Amino acid sequence: MTPTEWGIVALALAGAFFGGVAAVGLVRLPDVYTRSHAASKSDTLGAILAIAAAALALQSGLSTAKSVFLLLFMFITNPTAAHAVARAAQDQGIEPWTADEGDEP
Amino acid sequence: MSDTDARRILVPVGDSDSLRDTVSYVVDLATETAPAPVEIHLVLAARTQAVSPDAPTELGTAREQLERVALWVEEETAEGTVVAREDREADAAGESEADADGEAPADAADAPGWLTVVTDTVGTDRYLFSPGDYADALLEYAAAAGIDRIVVDPEYKPGGTASMLQPMSVELARGDVPVETAPVDRPTEGAVLARAASLSKYLSVFVVSYLFYMSLSAWKPLDFFTGFVTASIVSLVLAPVVANRSAPLGVTLRRLARLLVYAPYLVKEIAVANLQVAYVVLHPDMPIDPEVVQLRAAVWGDGAVTTLANSITLTPGTLTVNVSERSFDIHSLTADSRADLFDGGLERAVRFVFYGRAAARIPTPRERGDAGEGRDG
Repeated sequence: MTPTEWGIVALALAGAFFGGVAAVGLVRLPDVYTRSHAASKSDTLGAILAIAAAALALQSGLSTAKSVFLLLFMFITNPTAAHAVARAAQDQGIEPWTADEGDEP
Repeated sequence: MSDTDARRILVPVGDSDSLRDTVSYVVDLATETAPAPVEIHLVLAARTQAVSPDAPTELGTAREQLERVALWVEEETAEGTVVAREDREADAAGESEADADGEAPADAADAPGWLTVVTDTVGTDRYLFSPGDYADALLEYAAAAGIDRIVVDPEYKPGGTASMLQPMSVELARGDVPVETAPVDRPTEGAVLARAASLSKYLSVFVVSYLFYMSLSAWKPLDFFTGFVTASIVSLVLAPVVANRSAPLGVTLRRLARLLVYAPYLVKEIAVANLQVAYVVLHPDMPIDPEVVQLRAAVWGDGAVTTLANSITLTPGTLTVNVSERSFDIHSLTADSRADLFDGGLERAVRFVFYGRAAARIPTPRERGDAGEGRDG
């Protein structure tokens, strides 16, 4: 394998890893706020790494440029969506889970 | 019950911001059929059970609340209208409060004006828990008093708003009385987001979104058409929301240049912090210690505040929950992420992008005393 292929595989694997972390976090974390941490951020990094792998694999100028646009887009939209969810939760008066409440959310 | 002698409208009364408007709507309804007699039943569903030691004071405040709403009705009616009042709560206070029905219609017929306001309390003999319980108590009252119509305030949601429970207005529809939600505007917080947009703004939003669409498309003839349609919709919907003031071109270019320096730093922060969160999430004991903290950030202007808020959200472990002016409510996952936040690295970087190198040297939030611990911490 060429160094580029190694790079593609590494990026794709890292992307899958962080996607997996997001899924595990979504299940394990206790409340809406902590879950949106996992859903927004680990997920963003996972998607970004996967898209970077795709950009590297495509190797043609235009497609790579489009992938970079997608990256940029995720950087802006993902935190905005997470903020919208968290803010809606706060508006609804949902109290954040704290460590001293024990295991019950 | 027939509506030959009087129309009877039931209005559930409770803590709600838009109740005043609902009352106004109900009075309008009553006025439409003016000389015909109308009874407006203002019924408060008690929140505490009768056995509670606080019950007497609780009922006292209920009385005051009903009194206030009844006054609203009188204010809303036209000048010179005689409004008869009937307080069944007071009538019943002596002995049993279960005779809410009975000879009430006869009283109404004796009343001097066409409009009668009846106030009463239900649910004092039991514990109202879910929206369904509230609906049951109100429907029993409606059946006993011969109500023709129920008008619900859209903001009055007793018994919680858990998604698995149907709201009270839906539960009320189980009865055979028509239920209607008053057409009242929900009160909104904060400034108006959308403003009237000029033609040039519609055009610029259109051009930018068309170009963006085409840059991602395959340049087939169909793409030009779908891009046109998409850009039209986007500009029509979003032009009123687009920021009104923009900085001069030179400033914007310099900011973009500094943004290129900022981007790698942000990516590095994201990567490091993501590894921390991955560790926390995958750790068998899941050592999280979430807390909401306040931060008064030293950034000014919509663009800088938005960039900082988004950067905080992107950096794992911290999530911007709410922003007003420069004050951020931030949900943090671990103590480490809070410490990083108050060290102000991101904040300094955003200041560098928007105001240049000199502004980056402002002390950290912790040194300034702008780092607020959580409300509950």
